[in-house]
Amino acid sequence: MVLATYDLWAFVSDNQAELLDGLLNTLKVSAFAIVGAFVIGAVLGAARAHRIPVVSQLTAIYVELIRNTPILVQIFMIFYALPQLGIVFDQFTVAWLSVMIWGGAFNSENFRAGFEAVPHRYREAASALGFGRLSTFLNVTLPIGGRIAIPSSINTYISVLKNTSLMYVIGYAELTTTSLNISNLTLQTTESLTVLAVTYLALVWTLSAGIRLVESRLALPESS
Amino acid sequence: MSLPDWVEPVARYILLEGLPGTLRVSAIAVVGSASIGIVLGTLMTIKLLPLRAVIRLYIEVFRGLPILVTVFIVYFGLPSAAPGLEFGPLTAASIALVLWGSAQVAEATRGAVQSIPREQHEAASALGFGWVGRHGFVILPQALRRLLPPFVSLLVNIIQNSTLAQVIGGLEVLEAGERQNERLTAIPPIGLGEIHAFEIFGGVMVLFFLISFPLTRLAAVLEKRLAREGYG
Repeated sequence: MVLATYDLWAFVSDNQAELLDGLLNTLKVSAFAIVGAFVIGAVLGAARAHRIPVVSQLTAIYVELIRNTPILVQIFMIFYALPQLGIVFDQFTVAWLSVMIWGGAFNSENFRAGFEAVPHRYREAASALGFGRLSTFLNVTLPIGGRIAIPSSINTYISVLKNTSLMYVIGYAELTTTSLNISNLTLQTTESLTVLAVTYLALVWTLSAGIRLVESRLALPESS
Repeated sequence: MSLPDWVEPVARYILLEGLPGTLRVSAIAVVGSASIGIVLGTLMTIKLLPLRAVIRLYIEVFRGLPILVTVFIVYFGLPSAAPGLEFGPLTAASIALVLWGSAQVAEATRGAVQSIPREQHEAASALGFGWVGRHGFVILPQALRRLLPPFVSLLVNIIQNSTLAQVIGGLEVLEAGERQNERLTAIPPIGLGEIHAFEIFGGVMVLFFLISFPLTRLAAVLEKRLAREGYG
């Protein structure tokens, strides 16, 4: 074959528009899922840490189910199996919903650990000052425990971003699907995989550097 | 209560054709990740900057890439960049998982080796051990105890991520389920013309849960035990 040439810049400039669309879709799905995973994690993590009856047990089941099954199988369940029960989502919804459900489970563990790490005496102090259960949570446990949970939850968000690549299996046109589709048309496999890998590494490494920055800014004064 | 007729052949196919694929990929990936990762992680503790930089790059690249992208690089990228480097889907998935897993293990090993007190190194040197003997007989055996819980978690992750072989057509549990799903959906006489996706993928999910859940429990128990012994 004569196509055994490697021209990265030609590949990028020829397919600029599609690649950019793919990147934006990856970021869009990730953003939806990360916001959702944050809310799920904070709410269910609080329910777990405070042992709220029923909600706490249901959360435990949700977390164990998600942690102990492959995310790819979860995506298959949502995309191929739910329609059998009459529940049909479009590709975009499946994309953010599945990674949000996955990230939410891991994140509720992150937040549970964070909330549980808040020393008991802080809560006693709050109730001595006349704070109710809810205002103790909002004013004491959430700001302190939430900060303890930041590094591990950002790690979960990074995994959420990486897992959006799995939307290749449902054909949603994010970065991975777009790059592989282009390479199938133009046979520029090496170029498209280079672009794909470099883009993901740039995103992931930027986020990881962000973690360290946030960690040093938000670290509790007590913990060195 | 009796099961519908379609269930038995589907379950048989998933367990007899799919499960061995999953187990093969997982076994290769675990052994490969552990052996390469422990060596790289130990080498990371040598104070030789170029060596550390190279291993650090390896770790950051393969931990940073989505594993699916690594699978594509091994399966599509290698043959197109270097003709002859062609692998079957299950082998390609195993290689990708080894690249990812060894990066995870290397990072964990580096931490565990560095957590062994300096006195242990000094005592071993005083007994006449060289670098290899010191690490092989004194430092690593202690570090490995601390690595046990993360190893079990890694095993769970590898078993679950072995499903990525499905994306490139490797016959493992998920692909077996998918093929049976398609067969049943096909119009008779090939299939039944019925959709049983929910039961099939639900069954695949249960199968993975049954394998993973005891292992995650085990990891938690090991973690607790280490913490109790003061290795936290």
